[in-house]
Amino acid sequence: MTRIASHLSKTLAVALTGVSMLSVTAASALEITVWCWDPNFNGATMKEAGERYTAMHPDVTFNIVDFAKADLEQKLQAQLASGTTDGLPDIVLIEDYGAQKYLQSFPGAFEALNDSVDYSAFAPYKVELATVGDQTYSLPFDSGVTGLFYRSDILSKAGYEAADLEDITWDKLIEIGQDVKEKTGDTLLPIDPNDAGWLRIMMQSAGSWYFNADGSVNIEGNPVLKASIETYQRLLAAGISKPVAGWTEYTGSFTSGDTAATFTGVWMTGTIKANADQSGMWGIAPLPALDGVEGATNASNLGGSSWYVMSSAPEKDAAIDFLAEVWGKDADFYQKILVNQGALGSLLAARDGEAYSASDPFFGGAEVWQNFSNWLGAIPSVNYGIFTNEADAAVVAQIPAITSGGNVDEIIAAIDSQVRQQIQ
Amino acid sequence: MPALVLLGVFMVYPILWSLWMSFQVGRGMNLSFGGLANIIRLTQDTVFQRALTNTMIFLAVQVPVMLVLAMLFANALNDSRLWGRSIFRTAIFLPCVTSLVAYSVIFRSMFAQDGIINQMLMAIHVIADPIPWLADPFWARVVVILAITWRWTGYNMIFYLAAMQNIDRSIYEAARIDGVPAWARFFYITVPMLKPVILFTTVISTIGTLQLFDEVNLITQGGPSDSTLTLSLYIYNLTFKFMPSFGYAATVSYVIVILVGILSFIQFLAARDKRA
Repeated sequence: MTRIASHLSKTLAVALTGVSMLSVTAASALEITVWCWDPNFNGATMKEAGERYTAMHPDVTFNIVDFAKADLEQKLQAQLASGTTDGLPDIVLIEDYGAQKYLQSFPGAFEALNDSVDYSAFAPYKVELATVGDQTYSLPFDSGVTGLFYRSDILSKAGYEAADLEDITWDKLIEIGQDVKEKTGDTLLPIDPNDAGWLRIMMQSAGSWYFNADGSVNIEGNPVLKASIETYQRLLAAGISKPVAGWTEYTGSFTSGDTAATFTGVWMTGTIKANADQSGMWGIAPLPALDGVEGATNASNLGGSSWYVMSSAPEKDAAIDFLAEVWGKDADFYQKILVNQGALGSLLAARDGEAYSASDPFFGGAEVWQNFSNWLGAIPSVNYGIFTNEADAAVVAQIPAITSGGNVDEIIAAIDSQVRQQIQ
Repeated sequence: MPALVLLGVFMVYPILWSLWMSFQVGRGMNLSFGGLANIIRLTQDTVFQRALTNTMIFLAVQVPVMLVLAMLFANALNDSRLWGRSIFRTAIFLPCVTSLVAYSVIFRSMFAQDGIINQMLMAIHVIADPIPWLADPFWARVVVILAITWRWTGYNMIFYLAAMQNIDRSIYEAARIDGVPAWARFFYITVPMLKPVILFTTVISTIGTLQLFDEVNLITQGGPSDSTLTLSLYIYNLTFKFMPSFGYAATVSYVIVILVGILSFIQFLAARDKRA
């Protein structure tokens, strides 16, 4: 009897040791879960960052989950609203336009990083976007600095060189587009009538937005918005654009040579360079400026995103340490993601690195990154507020009126009334 | 008893809670009681009006077209002399068991600017320039109507087919002996005999169309410029895309509930057997 008992207790002891050993391993091995939306871009950069951190901290591994961007946002919003934190990641990527919406409508859901991250090291406009009161919640990531990407081979057939596209206005671009169409038969730009990105780009280039700095609506009586819509009408009337529906058709149009140019964020570089057979056929130029508008510049922003740590994250401390160590300090890391993924981060110190001054044969030997980071410094800062999606939807609803050459004042009045109605 | 508890937890409670929600105002999780504020907002909301108009257009165009088609298919396939009718039946029924996402994605690519539909129409010289199916408000609605008609016609056809097979053969034989032509047999015998099934399919199609979401979300995202925005998609946008406005979204949901109630009631009244 006693033998059996001692046998049992031995077995039990062995089993317990086994369990406790398992739990020790479990406690020391951490897995940080990250949600992002582009396996070739932000997903790839996060993977690289994770590998660097794992090399220093072998006990920490990363689980990088890719969604479509809209799916990620909706999943996040639905989970935050339900109040269930199970299944949320440790780190999530959020687009700048939506940052304030999440921070203000789900207070306490995201972790302020002021104690761990030195924000003076980052581009100030990116820091401001994720600040509520005196707390900042993001690790600033990619910039959406914009430029004009064009097929230099097509434009040169019409007699245009890189210098002809430096610091021009939209009307000059329209002239060039008509000239190109006449001489080569090529269409200059793809336009998606369901996307108001072009308007956001134009507005921010002159330091304006749908909302004032205090968050009040700035649509009716906004000269920059009016000039942007008028410019867009001229652009369409000139017959130099091709209508496309959705992202795939949009990117397909200029990567297949159907259109000769597009104005968009720097993150498009990766998509364009994915077509290796077009190496040397591309060029980049600064964004055209709005004609006759006070404060008009040749620099603007489209999109851009940052990393946020969830307050409910099981591995919160490790996640914060990881972001601060790699994303907050490692300038060498930024050189690598710049070269590999075309990711232009917001860590200021990274700009002194070698990769930034390198020339790129794909773009005819231009110093692509140097150019983009110069333009980055010139982007007028605006407050996106918390209702950019609503304002965008109101603009999109008016695009048929804009396209058919409707009265701009009436269009703006309609946008204004829809926005005021939607944001109450 | 357990069934009652389950019903209470998963049906009654959410319904009451959503009714309570529909009187809440505020952003995200910061909600407070707003009285009639959401209903007042509803009356001034131009986006809601667009969504309601679009939903009604889909309802008024698509449901009659689909049900007439389903009836014609059912009548043709009910003919025992037709060769291979089980193959046709399966073929027409098959769309409604395919995945919503898969068929929406395929429709999207078929109707792209350089998609197969435009290529085919151009090859047979029906059109000279590609039709901007998804970029033009009118054509985008046409695509959505085509898509849901393609998917649900077979589903309704099965109901009609089943009902037709329950009609006593001898009625048709008697009519034939009396010299009633085929079209008259269809209109004066088949259709009246199918009345309860027609009512049933009309009601479920109406409810389905009022809740239309997947196709518009996947094919057009409600665009271009809200021309295919439906009530369900608007509720989704209010909840998951815009600054979350849960209370107002619940109010819009109740509009669908009320519409379903009213329309079903009208259909029941219209189909009521006067002799009973």
